[in-house]
Amino acid sequence: MDQDGEWIRGCLAGESAAWESLLKTYTRKIYNLCYRFTGKVEDADDLTQEVFVKVFQTLRSFDHAQGSFSTWLHRVARNHLVDHYRRTRKDRMTTSLEDDAGRAEQHPSPAAGPTALLEARERREQLQRALDQLSPDLREAVVLRDFEDLDYAEIAQVLGVPAGTVKSRINRGRLELARVLKRMEGM
Amino acid sequence: MTHLEVENLASDYLEGQLDGGRQAAFEAHLEGCGPCRELLAGVRHALELCREAERLEPRPWLIHKILLATVGEPKPGWGERLGQFFRPVLQPRVAYPIAMSVFTFSMLVNAAGLNLRHLRLEDLDPRTWVERVNRQGHLVYARAEKFCYDLRVVYDMESRWKQLRRQPQVQQEERPSTPAGGSSLQAVPDPTMAERAPEGGFRSEGGRSQMP
Repeated sequence: MDQDGEWIRGCLAGESAAWESLLKTYTRKIYNLCYRFTGKVEDADDLTQEVFVKVFQTLRSFDHAQGSFSTWLHRVARNHLVDHYRRTRKDRMTTSLEDDAGRAEQHPSPAAGPTALLEARERREQLQRALDQLSPDLREAVVLRDFEDLDYAEIAQVLGVPAGTVKSRINRGRLELARVLKRMEGM
Repeated sequence: MTHLEVENLASDYLEGQLDGGRQAAFEAHLEGCGPCRELLAGVRHALELCREAERLEPRPWLIHKILLATVGEPKPGWGERLGQFFRPVLQPRVAYPIAMSVFTFSMLVNAAGLNLRHLRLEDLDPRTWVERVNRQGHLVYARAEKFCYDLRVVYDMESRWKQLRRQPQVQQEERPSTPAGGSSLQAVPDPTMAERAPEGGFRSEGGRSQMP
């Protein structure tokens, strides 16, 4: 049995150390996924916590035979993010795109110079703004493929759609992202 | 190949998933189509940006917050509890006296001849302890005394043996050298000795000394 399987068994037996190990392994992945979907650090914090609370409550329903834990975790996270997207649709319509100055507040690397940090931050913000302009279907496909590095079969499992649809969404998402980025760079 | 086909196959082309024939057709179209080349360059750029995008680090307290929301305050295990309990005892100022006490106790137990695996009721009586310690002390003293005596005997014998071995050599050195050509067990009287005898108070007559 793999490491994830042992941790899950430990979690089900009530071992908090196993749950902590699982958290330490996957928090960063889910946090980044949430950030790519929402574009806000605060929302990513809250959503990551909510996702893991949900995972903790539904861990018994995980079936190793139906796929890896990572895929299952991404599916749970994705479903939660879609719910969150639907819940906050009204709020988003009243929120201006520029009203997110602190969205990419990150921990700067001490080795990088201030100019490099500023440029990296600008690139990151631009990419995130471009991602925000994609439709949720295309965005989630692009994020899972190009940021989370999942393969087509895993994405198909996470999204619950055929592999052909995944391929098509990823391609359309990339084309759309390229167009948006070009438009933004020309501004 | 049409523009629409190029659009649909852009990702496959960039990921190297097109077979030979289609790839050739794709590249042939790109050579003659500026907008499609531009589109492909844009997609490639977007892909690079996505793949180069650095992963964000969650804030340090996030895992702790999630743990609090799921399993609550982490409970210390048995090992941690025992560690906490014995932490004051493990300090050198406490550990050293404890170690010395254990050492002393083990010496006393050993001296008292107690077998901790088969303790009897009388073993718990302090008088028994004193008696045993006393007996043990006397035994040790007697053994030490005997050892010293044995050593003395050994040294004595050794020195006598050395003396005995040295004696014949001394006798040989003291015996005068025999002249060549004959044996003379009887020593030749020394005329100087005869002259000196009256001064010393002894007179020698035929090898015998007489009192004045």
